Amino acid sequence: MAASLKLDYAAATDEQLVSLAKGGDADAFEELVHRHRDKIYARAMIMMRNEVEAIDLSQEAWVKAWQRIHQFQGESSFATWATRIVINLCLDQIRRQKRTRAESIEQMEEETGGVERHMPVVEANPTEGLETEDVRRRIDEALGKLTEAHRTVVVLHEFEGLEYKEIARRVGISIGTVMSRLFYARRRLATLLQNLRKERSE
Amino acid sequence: MNGKEWTLDLQAYVDGELEPSRRAEVERVISSDAEARELAGALRSLGEVVRSHEPSHRVPDSREFYWSQVRRRIQQAEATDSRRAAGATRAAGWLRWLAPALGVAAVVVVVFMNRRHGEALVEVASSGLEDAEGMTFRSDADGITVHWIR
Repeated sequence: MAASLKLDYAAATDEQLVSLAKGGDADAFEELVHRHRDKIYARAMIMMRNEVEAIDLSQEAWVKAWQRIHQFQGESSFATWATRIVINLCLDQIRRQKRTRAESIEQMEEETGGVERHMPVVEANPTEGLETEDVRRRIDEALGKLTEAHRTVVVLHEFEGLEYKEIARRVGISIGTVMSRLFYARRRLATLLQNLRKERSE
Repeated sequence: MNGKEWTLDLQAYVDGELEPSRRAEVERVISSDAEARELAGALRSLGEVVRSHEPSHRVPDSREFYWSQVRRRIQQAEATDSRRAAGATRAAGWLRWLAPALGVAAVVVVVFMNRRHGEALVEVASSGLEDAEGMTFRSDADGITVHWIR
């Protein structure tokens, strides 16, 4: 009887599932996890560059999402809200691991030295002729070649759409450092994409 | 216009984050300086390419396995929360009894010490009152007596 009254979770909207999950419906939450798990995992993977860590942090993000679902008021989409959770977990993990310490010399040299004005020219469509998935893969590889500190600001700015001051607050650095890191990261990415074009022309 | 500050200003302009008071100046330079125009264009193109090709990764586990892992962690977290809550409740229960008991114990100790001090005073007085100076304070309201001896 109860089963016949059950909602078709697969057909429900995120808003309906969130509402049910707030009432303690674990099946509704499971559907939300299923729908968005790849996005959450991908964000963790882009940040951490490690499959085991990405799985662990994405699962932890879902635990936090379940625990805090009452705090979700729908100001953004559920996926965006859940993504913010995993991003925060990644930033915490990075801080714990103190990986940035190992990169500090490189960063200091860059951030205290003069910023070169020149940047490799990125053509209007540098990835023209490539399959979308191939471009995604190549950009992912390029992101993997950035230092963790540089990758973090790129992810927060380009994919999370955060403003400089919000990135500064989340990462615990000055706005000036955010701007420097973003510029160096972009210059490096531009170089890597330029190499991609060279590879194609060879 | 050269240097770090200028380059970062140009980037902030492209990102829509440059303060209004600096925008006109940057726009003037972009319109008159080919190099600045090229850099602004490169930054814009790069941003568009990266944003429109966000890398995708798929969870390597099946739906059932992944959810079973998440569910297990949720259950563990809830069990931990329950244990903490139970511990806090027990501690609160103990404190409800312990606080008055500690109060009574403190009073007993004060009374006991008070008597011991009284005995000491007697002892001092009997052993050589001419060498000892003493002062006594008694508060009937608080039910305590303080002896100061030197």
